[in-house]
Amino acid sequence: MNLQRISAIVVKEWREIVRDRLFFALAFVVPATLTLLFGFGLSLDVENVPLAVVDYDRSALSREYAHRFSDSRYFDFKGQLSDLREADALLMRGQVRAVVVIPEHFEQRLLSGRPAEVQTLVDGTFPFRSLTSKGYITAINASFSAGVLATAIAQTRGVSVEDAAAALQPVPVEVRYLYNQSVKSVWSIAPKLLMAIMMISPPFLTALGIVREKESGSIFNIYSSTVTRGEFLVGKLAPYVGISFLNVLILWVLACFVFGAPFKGNALFFALTALLYVICTTGIGLLVSVAVRTQVAAMLGTAILTIVPAVLYSGILIPISSLSSVATVIAHLLPGMYFANITVGSFLKDVDLGELWPDVLALALYATVLFAAGYRLFHKRTAT
Amino acid sequence: MSAALRRPGLGIWLRRLAAMTRKELLLLLRDPVLLFVIFYGFTFDVYNAASGVTLQLKSAAVAVFDLDRSAASRELASRLQPPQFVPLPPLERGGEGQKLLDRGQALMVLSVPPGFSRDLAAGRTAPVQLQIDATNTALATLGYADATQIITQFGLEQALRRQGISEAAAAELPQVENRVRVWFNPNQEDAWFMGISEMLNVVTAFAILLTAALMVREKERGTIEQLLVSPLSALQITAPKVIAMVIMIHIGISASLLLVLEPLFDVPIRGSLLLFALVTTLYIVTLSGLGLLIATLTRNLAQAAMLGILVLAPMMFLSGVWTPPEAMPPAVRMLVHISPLYYYSDAGYAILLKGAGLDVIWPSVLGIAGLGVLIVASGLSRFRRQFG
Repeated sequence: MNLQRISAIVVKEWREIVRDRLFFALAFVVPATLTLLFGFGLSLDVENVPLAVVDYDRSALSREYAHRFSDSRYFDFKGQLSDLREADALLMRGQVRAVVVIPEHFEQRLLSGRPAEVQTLVDGTFPFRSLTSKGYITAINASFSAGVLATAIAQTRGVSVEDAAAALQPVPVEVRYLYNQSVKSVWSIAPKLLMAIMMISPPFLTALGIVREKESGSIFNIYSSTVTRGEFLVGKLAPYVGISFLNVLILWVLACFVFGAPFKGNALFFALTALLYVICTTGIGLLVSVAVRTQVAAMLGTAILTIVPAVLYSGILIPISSLSSVATVIAHLLPGMYFANITVGSFLKDVDLGELWPDVLALALYATVLFAAGYRLFHKRTAT
Repeated sequence: MSAALRRPGLGIWLRRLAAMTRKELLLLLRDPVLLFVIFYGFTFDVYNAASGVTLQLKSAAVAVFDLDRSAASRELASRLQPPQFVPLPPLERGGEGQKLLDRGQALMVLSVPPGFSRDLAAGRTAPVQLQIDATNTALATLGYADATQIITQFGLEQALRRQGISEAAAAELPQVENRVRVWFNPNQEDAWFMGISEMLNVVTAFAILLTAALMVREKERGTIEQLLVSPLSALQITAPKVIAMVIMIHIGISASLLLVLEPLFDVPIRGSLLLFALVTTLYIVTLSGLGLLIATLTRNLAQAAMLGILVLAPMMFLSGVWTPPEAMPPAVRMLVHISPLYYYSDAGYAILLKGAGLDVIWPSVLGIAGLGVLIVASGLSRFRRQFG
């Protein structure tokens, strides 16, 4: 390893990046834009679910039941429908996502002290949304049902409705949300967003940068020079690691000051692990660039290889515990999951090396393996 | 010069188009790594997305810190069961729960205070505490909903028992039962949703990035000059790339649907595949206009790739697949209508999962077509101005 040769390559690469002004600008604009977009827009809160009601009973009680849904902020009441056929058509067109169907004799059954049944049709196209809607529906129904039951018991036992209702709810649940007291989703998303975007952007930059030389043929200058493969790889990748690390800092600033995510952990620990992570993801780009010959393939290959795992397998939308066994294995094979633990720990929990050393170790191992593989596979002589 | 030379007949026009299309297909076929990437995207990638993920609350770890140690508290604890919950061994000391939550080993800790069963038996309220790790909001919300439902039901049963009302008698009391029926995806299989959404995303990514790449490559290598001096119009240069891509993507979609989604995940294909193919073609043509626009704005592939991502990500985001449009801020909700993927995914799910026909999805088709005319026209006109 000759430092002078390495620095010469670093300077050459840096000039090449900076002179392509659009590319240089996009290297910073893309991660920041994605963070702002997803941070402001991505929300898993299921609210304003469009809902309609088919009321076959048309009684005071059935109207009260329907009101419980239309008054809820979780549902956006789209009006009364005349019959099931209309409900069918609206669900099919996606104009409503849930329809509550109240049958005839609803009031009559309840007032005569018998149980009544209501049906809700939910559009299951988006499973997470339909599951959450189901939870709201069950909760609203339970509260209405408890009210009816309390009224009935109050009448038969001769106590007040309030007492009867209290007696029916003997086990109230006191909930405390830890780490994110108000359950703001942007808080929980911002740190993981940093991880996901830094999983996508560095491999792109790196793969394109290396394959560009391969495709344009300028790499033959390297092949015929005294530069060793190690020196070439270090010199070539250093500017991309630098750009990516700068991006981490920018995204960190966005997370803290634009999204107001608290940073409770150790800044130095976070910076060092972030550098390690960026080296890992740059290494992914290196591996892709070794495997492909054209920039088109490099671009699409990195897109397919990084975007899906970054979004799906790293715990940003879906918790690791909800992954299937195959996906859990894949998740463990990628660096994103380990760094997600570190960002979440550093931002929201104030834990550092004492708690997170397994993740740091995994990242270090990952970086070593990637660069060893890249070094082994990168040859100064083409196969053909 | 005769008029016939300046205005070649339709036959020659078509033959030129065919020759150029053949050239584009040959170029694609001669890059085996690229072909593998396309194949991987439509099969393995879709498989991964469909098999890997479930947004349902599944095996969330729950620890119980029981200070009461009574029959009632044990019964309450025993109700937090699979599939939603996985009970952890009971906690001995108070700090243990905090540690489990810190390490992310438990989603929830339920604490039952001393005197729980005594209060319950005496008819007093006996509150319990639930600590939830809210770092993952979605999971915390689902976990909270499920746990409170279970605990409330437990409370109701205890109360009725105390009042001397048997279970059989309780069933005859005036209560409302809400039977929730889920349509189109009755078991709420995440694989159906995730698989299809991934397939639509892959189509989107390839349609934009591949067109942009095929165009920019000609610019970067200088081969565009050769095309410009040939008797080809702008449309004859660009359309063959789109046609080649439409062919590749249709092969990819067929592999996705018939080799992965239908046989491996039992995704029902309820609607007409022909209709889906037609809508897809319209969609790809629309997106290729975007690719063309990107190609006119950039000088090399690296720029085109970054700009492509900058266009692609917001489009996927605004499609409403990840975030329901209803939950978006009103200003963003308006923007949804300029994402072609919004209309395409609407139409795609409707055709594949709901079995909808053109009578239902025509507004979406109109949306794609409207955007398409706008985008392709501006892409072509920029291309003409740049190389005219």
